Amino acid sequence: MVRMIGAALVAVGSAWLGFGAAGELGARVRALEETEEGLSLMAQELELDAPPLEQLMQRLIPRSRGGARRLFEGCQKALEHLEEEPFSLAWQRLVEKEEVLGREGQACLYPLGEVLGRCGWEEQRRILEVTARRLEQAGARAREERGRMSRVYQALGLSGGALAAILLL
Amino acid sequence: MEIEREAMRYQQAVRVLPPYLRRWALDIPLREQAEAEEVRLRVGQPLALVLPKGERWLEGPRVETRDLEQLVELASGASLHAVLDQVRRGYLTAAGGHRIGLCGSAVLREGDIQGFRNLSSAALRVARQVQGASKGVLEQLCREGRLESTLILAPPGLGKTTLLRDVIRRVSGGEGCLPLRVALADERGEVAALYRGSPQLEVGPRTDVVEGCPKDRGLMLMLRAMNPQVLAVDEITAPQDVAALKTAVGCGVTLLATAHGTGREDMEHRALYRPLLQERMFRKLVRIVRREGVRRYVVEDLE
Repeated sequence: MVRMIGAALVAVGSAWLGFGAAGELGARVRALEETEEGLSLMAQELELDAPPLEQLMQRLIPRSRGGARRLFEGCQKALEHLEEEPFSLAWQRLVEKEEVLGREGQACLYPLGEVLGRCGWEEQRRILEVTARRLEQAGARAREERGRMSRVYQALGLSGGALAAILLL
Repeated sequence: MEIEREAMRYQQAVRVLPPYLRRWALDIPLREQAEAEEVRLRVGQPLALVLPKGERWLEGPRVETRDLEQLVELASGASLHAVLDQVRRGYLTAAGGHRIGLCGSAVLREGDIQGFRNLSSAALRVARQVQGASKGVLEQLCREGRLESTLILAPPGLGKTTLLRDVIRRVSGGEGCLPLRVALADERGEVAALYRGSPQLEVGPRTDVVEGCPKDRGLMLMLRAMNPQVLAVDEITAPQDVAALKTAVGCGVTLLATAHGTGREDMEHRALYRPLLQERMFRKLVRIVRREGVRRYVVEDLE
């Protein structure tokens, strides 16, 4: 009986790992899409009336979702504590926390810390658009990887679990 | 009490300094804080304090380029794009109306300054206002309690802007005269010092301000859009300014302006100012003079 329960637990655990890995791929795709949307919104708002960053974040937070919303909320807090941490460093820190974006997604975002609020709005908008395009490309690659790998991970998880259960029984 | 209030203005101004420099800027006697006119930051030098008796170095570390960058970030709320028009003119206004003049390698595009690369120095000017500066003067500028068109004339540094601001504040608030709607064309933001739409220096409750555009355009915009009873402008410097004021007079608006000069004769000798007298655009002239170190206001009728 104990062996049966152990085998079941191993099987379920292995399957969970497989499905978890597949889920991570899905989450990355979503996070990249959300961030791309968020940056596009930011570019639009800058073009509208180039508000100060604090006002910009206030406008973006209710209109964005997921990772982008978290990022903008973090920026809003960072802007209240500029004396303690320059905005470029705060941006770096906030992006680092968004591990769900993957290294490629994070690498797209890092340079924005040196641009946001540091030059004319036209330049910022141009770089935001370039970054959004890069995120879109990263998203396309992540979607392709999800399509290709999520079933592999799921199958590996299930079959690994089944194999372990057989061996245990 | 007065010293404490003035020292608080200084303490508010130095909030835009990077924290470790601010500590040194605040480590001075209260009296000096109350008197300080400017804090100077120059790369490679310690902070300097400009006092009425002269400039003196403060103790502490030498200023680095990144300190100036942080100063701009703190003063602009990390939003250079929102103050870039000011920066292109060489300054930016921080909360409280304190003005930061900037220097560095200018970035030019088609002959115009677009901004500064590698900032080299900054002058943080403490915004001070003297409420009550026009006491005893405004009363002489009114007929039956209503302000008449007035020109304030003085050489630089004698307090034209301070007097103008206080007259605006009192006329707008109806303090010692009939309350009137005042439209202020504040090209360089020195009179009202708008910060995110809010005047940082007291200009009264019935005052509308346009900032950052050439005076003549600002005056015409106000005339068309805000239906002012008084049109105020600091420093008439160009024939276009005179033309705009002439149009305003034709619309029955009371004028309140300042100009560089020493007196009526001086004005008559200058081509720019002569039309102001010939066209009788102003009815009162206030000359600011300094005698034995004391500032005095001399009011003359121009009719």
